[in-house]
Amino acid sequence: MNKTYNFAFFDEGSKREIRRATLKAIAIPGYQVPFASREMPIGRGWGTGGLQLTLSLIGKDDVLKVIDQGSDESVNAVNIKKLVSDTTGVRTTDSTKGASLIQSRHRVPEVPLQRDQILILQVPLPEPLRNFEPSEHETKKLHAEREYSGAWLMLFEQIMKYGIMATDADHPVMVHDRYVMAPSPIPRFDNSKLDNNEALILLGAGREKKVYAIPPYTNISSLAFDDYGFEIESFANHACILCGSNDVFLDELVDEESGETYFQCNDTSNCLEMVNQKQSLGVK
Amino acid sequence: MNLDVVHDIQTVYRKLVTATSRPGNSVVLEREAKTLDIQMECLSSTILLARTVLDPEVTFKVISKAEEAVSRMINQLTYSKPVDLAEADFIFILQDASDEQMKEALNMAKVGNLLNPHESAMIILEVPDVTKGVSMILSGPGIQEESFISLPNVSAWLGARNEKNKEFPLGIDMYFVDQQDRLIALPRTTQIKGNGGEIIWDMLQ
Repeated sequence: MNKTYNFAFFDEGSKREIRRATLKAIAIPGYQVPFASREMPIGRGWGTGGLQLTLSLIGKDDVLKVIDQGSDESVNAVNIKKLVSDTTGVRTTDSTKGASLIQSRHRVPEVPLQRDQILILQVPLPEPLRNFEPSEHETKKLHAEREYSGAWLMLFEQIMKYGIMATDADHPVMVHDRYVMAPSPIPRFDNSKLDNNEALILLGAGREKKVYAIPPYTNISSLAFDDYGFEIESFANHACILCGSNDVFLDELVDEESGETYFQCNDTSNCLEMVNQKQSLGVK
Repeated sequence: MNLDVVHDIQTVYRKLVTATSRPGNSVVLEREAKTLDIQMECLSSTILLARTVLDPEVTFKVISKAEEAVSRMINQLTYSKPVDLAEADFIFILQDASDEQMKEALNMAKVGNLLNPHESAMIILEVPDVTKGVSMILSGPGIQEESFISLPNVSAWLGARNEKNKEFPLGIDMYFVDQQDRLIALPRTTQIKGNGGEIIWDMLQ
């Protein structure tokens, strides 16, 4: 642990400011609470929102897991983990079950979250209405008036153009029947995991200076029409090449030598656990 | 043992997060409360919460017979400024406050506006015991189906709270602390029913 820095990098005043915003965010599910967003030693847009939430929450007894697009070992995840553990001395882990704080970029882990865990999602664009309304003042007004026809129209236009809702990731959700919220660019596959989750989910956007939250057991529904329902990515007839799972989110990869496509788990720590489980069964 | 303003305040905050995200669940601040060396006219948990959330960027109001002394102490500890009820970001209602004072404080508390519902007051209410009193059923975000709690002196605050919170997302978030250093939160999203099924609010009108 590097003792030339404050515990958890921030001074106490900065933590307090983020903490106050977070408490309000939990009390008003889905509402984007503005916060000061301090300068961080990583660039804005690289996970500073999530990182600030993590630093404001973390204590000596926490165990931290950081994932980037499902991977525990990508550059972004490793650097964030290093910064937090250097300035706090907390243990880090790859295991979803073993972590008390999970900071994630663009995935909700495959392993169901538990009651005593907090999931922190990094958010690049927190405003679900930004696509059609560039003014922050206007989008705030639209949220205030619960005027979401623009969000519906955006989906309608996609259906007119492509025959389906082509949101890919970041498909907007309705929180507690009040606020339309950007769930951060998680795949549609993960949207259902937000609904009535056991754990508290916090979302932080550092560049856009917003914090918002989904308390446990909160109703979350993905925006959809009666005749064009919400559909998740389909991996029918595909399984992970390493562990054989077919009920998880898979990445489609290309074998550069043979040119064939194959599928692999996106959540690497879950994949590794599945592989290890199989091997230990084999030994018995 | 002295309060560690980094680590003890962090654990208080995490318990606040747990309480807010799971309304009706009590969390215990006993360990942190024991680190306080000042004795005042308010509960230890009240001081802990003040030190966790207050600083010069926000304002507060104390409702008590000893308002002046407690305000001065909170100001000295946090550099936060005491202001009028209608402007206060945090309102501390101490045990010796009368029912009328409590009602007035809740009525005057700011609820934010539709553009900025977060510009609302957080109410910290001291009670003798957060497990004894009128039995109630809670539902809403943070609660799996329903949960049961018993809180004292319900008639003094529940009607005013429901009146304040009738237009979500506007509203006030309430935190109850007791003499055993337990904390319960009732954020604005929590719906409260009487344990017989009737709505207590109506019963009190």
